[in-house]
Amino acid sequence: MKKQIRNFAVVAGAATAAFALAAAPASAVPSTVWTVNPTPAAFTATNSGNVVLSVNGIAMTCTNSKASGTMASATGNPATVASISAIAFGATGAPCTSVLGNVTTVATTPWTVVGQDYTAATGVTKGYVGNVDAKVTVGACVFRVTGKASGTYTNSTGKLAVNSVTGELTVVSSTNCGSAVPVGAKPLFKGDYLVKVANTTTIPTIVGSNP
Amino acid sequence: MRGQRAALRPSRAQTRGAAIAALVALAPLLPAAAVALGSHEVDARLPYLCTLPSGPQTATVRIRATVPDRATVGETIEAADVSTTLELPAAVAAELTALEAATVRMETTLTVGVGQNGGSTDVTWLGTAQPAAVPAEGPLTLTSTGDVPALTTGTAGELTLTAGNLAVGLAPSKADGTPTGPASLSVSCVPGPDAEGRTLAGIPVTPGSTGTPGPGAPSTPPTAPASSPASFPSSSAAPSGQPSTPGGRETAGGAAGAPPDPASASVAGKGPRVATGNAPGAAARPKAPPCVTEKPTSTSLSAYITGYSNVRKLDGASLIPVSCVQLEQGEPVIDFRPDGSIHLLQKSEGSLLYQGRKQSPPFTSTFLTFGFAPTTATLVLEQAGPLIVESDVLLVFPDNIAETYIRVPLVLRVLDVEVNGTPLDVGPGCRTVKPLASPEPQPAKYPGDHLVLLGKGQLLNGTDATGYVLTSGGPLTGEVTVPAFKGCGAGGENLDRLLTAAISGPGNHIRQIQGQTCAVGVEVPTEGQCTADRQPYVVPKPER
Repeated sequence: MKKQIRNFAVVAGAATAAFALAAAPASAVPSTVWTVNPTPAAFTATNSGNVVLSVNGIAMTCTNSKASGTMASATGNPATVASISAIAFGATGAPCTSVLGNVTTVATTPWTVVGQDYTAATGVTKGYVGNVDAKVTVGACVFRVTGKASGTYTNSTGKLAVNSVTGELTVVSSTNCGSAVPVGAKPLFKGDYLVKVANTTTIPTIVGSNP
Repeated sequence: MRGQRAALRPSRAQTRGAAIAALVALAPLLPAAAVALGSHEVDARLPYLCTLPSGPQTATVRIRATVPDRATVGETIEAADVSTTLELPAAVAAELTALEAATVRMETTLTVGVGQNGGSTDVTWLGTAQPAAVPAEGPLTLTSTGDVPALTTGTAGELTLTAGNLAVGLAPSKADGTPTGPASLSVSCVPGPDAEGRTLAGIPVTPGSTGTPGPGAPSTPPTAPASSPASFPSSSAAPSGQPSTPGGRETAGGAAGAPPDPASASVAGKGPRVATGNAPGAAARPKAPPCVTEKPTSTSLSAYITGYSNVRKLDGASLIPVSCVQLEQGEPVIDFRPDGSIHLLQKSEGSLLYQGRKQSPPFTSTFLTFGFAPTTATLVLEQAGPLIVESDVLLVFPDNIAETYIRVPLVLRVLDVEVNGTPLDVGPGCRTVKPLASPEPQPAKYPGDHLVLLGKGQLLNGTDATGYVLTSGGPLTGEVTVPAFKGCGAGGENLDRLLTAAISGPGNHIRQIQGQTCAVGVEVPTEGQCTADRQPYVVPKPER
């Protein structure tokens, strides 16, 4: 079960990563001013490719994941440039799956998207999806994952690529999951999301600077 | 009100196992009419185009059957000795060999168009094949046999049978008997563009002497339901597989209709009744027996399971109706093996449950012995020990490969048998002398006779999990030997030998479909998995 938990956590992480677009200048000087365009704005994000959470080698695959929230310019480093108010893993008729059974993930939001580093040459912000908190259920196994998940946001494509690092997400509670997903397990989350300004085809941008 | 529709007799095929066995046993008592007056041999070789995982391949499909020369209105029309031979090119054999397959088992579903007077409907001819060796070179030729639905029509006019699409399931096994990966291949075949002569047979249907003296005017047969213009209204008794009172033929009477099991619920008024039944509208939950977990724990799961068991001796399949299974899910455990592999193991225990007893619901089946003597048998599977579910998931990043074995000792009990409407008292204790027995891969660890079903699932490189997974269900397969019967008969008549001769024997293939489980004890059950009172929401449909 520990493994299962990890998977769930991973999913959560991915979502987080999508939001954690940190804009830090490639230069030695970290960004402290984060300009989001448009700002403020409601956004939606849809997965591009499968989103996978894994725990102890047990993979949980979501072919459908969506998120929504708001984004706005911010200052500081790190800086929260977006808030994810809703994130769903799986959809009716397309549940997340694993070899332990279909996976249900309920996120406790808001999650955040945090910018830490921005490379002007590429328009890529590095950061993380923070405040991740999700309850994952597979059969009678239920576990909760919290933490953050590293990711990048690319202005040219609107892709939020979440790819968490071991240790960022942790299983904090686990019931009926045995040693597959024990408390303390470190899930991994990997998934790409395409971000749009809500109800438009506009790709929002995040630019970090240090005036 | 027999319409002109060709009425499928699915339940016959479904329940056939037990029932057939019973019938066979009784056969000496019956006026075993041989096949109708005259019959005609069908032997058609047709070009097909089959789609394999590796791409399209041409194939030859040979369909053989014996059909009546003619029939009268209302008379049962049955194809006998049906076989489907699929000849696939050498490339396919090579494909299987590449999977290390030494043998392969085939199941076929042939769509047959039934036409009459401008109307038509489709029926399916199901077949299973014994495992056959994969040839080292040359084409792969497999032949399946099986039961096919009987037809009746309420209208005079030629009834035609036309070969249509063919769905093929291949289950390759390695030389040591273990399944290959993948464990099964689905192949869909369609008649080739030059497949002329797909009409397998034309059977003249003449007005009978049963009060429907249609003068050969198919447009307004006196018995045609008004709601079914131009087509084949199905016999009202269709699902039971009982004959529909042809002149001189005996019937079981209208009462021996569909069994009460929910799986036999059929789609009324639309085409032939389909054997698999249980085909609700998209949203409706099919009926299913109660499956409330009385004292749930946080690990309680419940699920429905249904499917077919072939009765090899009878060359037919018996439908095991939708049955309730309740489990306590075991804790998954990570197992680091000396060989460096990592496994996730999970052992759960449970039982069948029906009205407080550890058994399947009784299933009644009506069928025709040798095509003519209607027989009804009521059967039940009784659990004689714990039902153990063991999953072993091999964790090989980024893939997860799962095998789940379900082991359970089951005794087959015959509750009653009725032949030609005449009850035959089998007594209160007519059962197999010991539980049904499957080949056991680990006999030292799991001694004793029991059924073994294997479900395979996998999740490959971030794609969705496929196949069987305990909590979300899927197909389970196995093979079982039916032991001899004992305690059958009453009033001094011993029916043990009859039932044993009819049913008992090895090599009966089983395919069960488990539905999504309901996690009864979790705080908030996942939507779509449980009913409001926490019974399994998903009612699976049997598959061949």
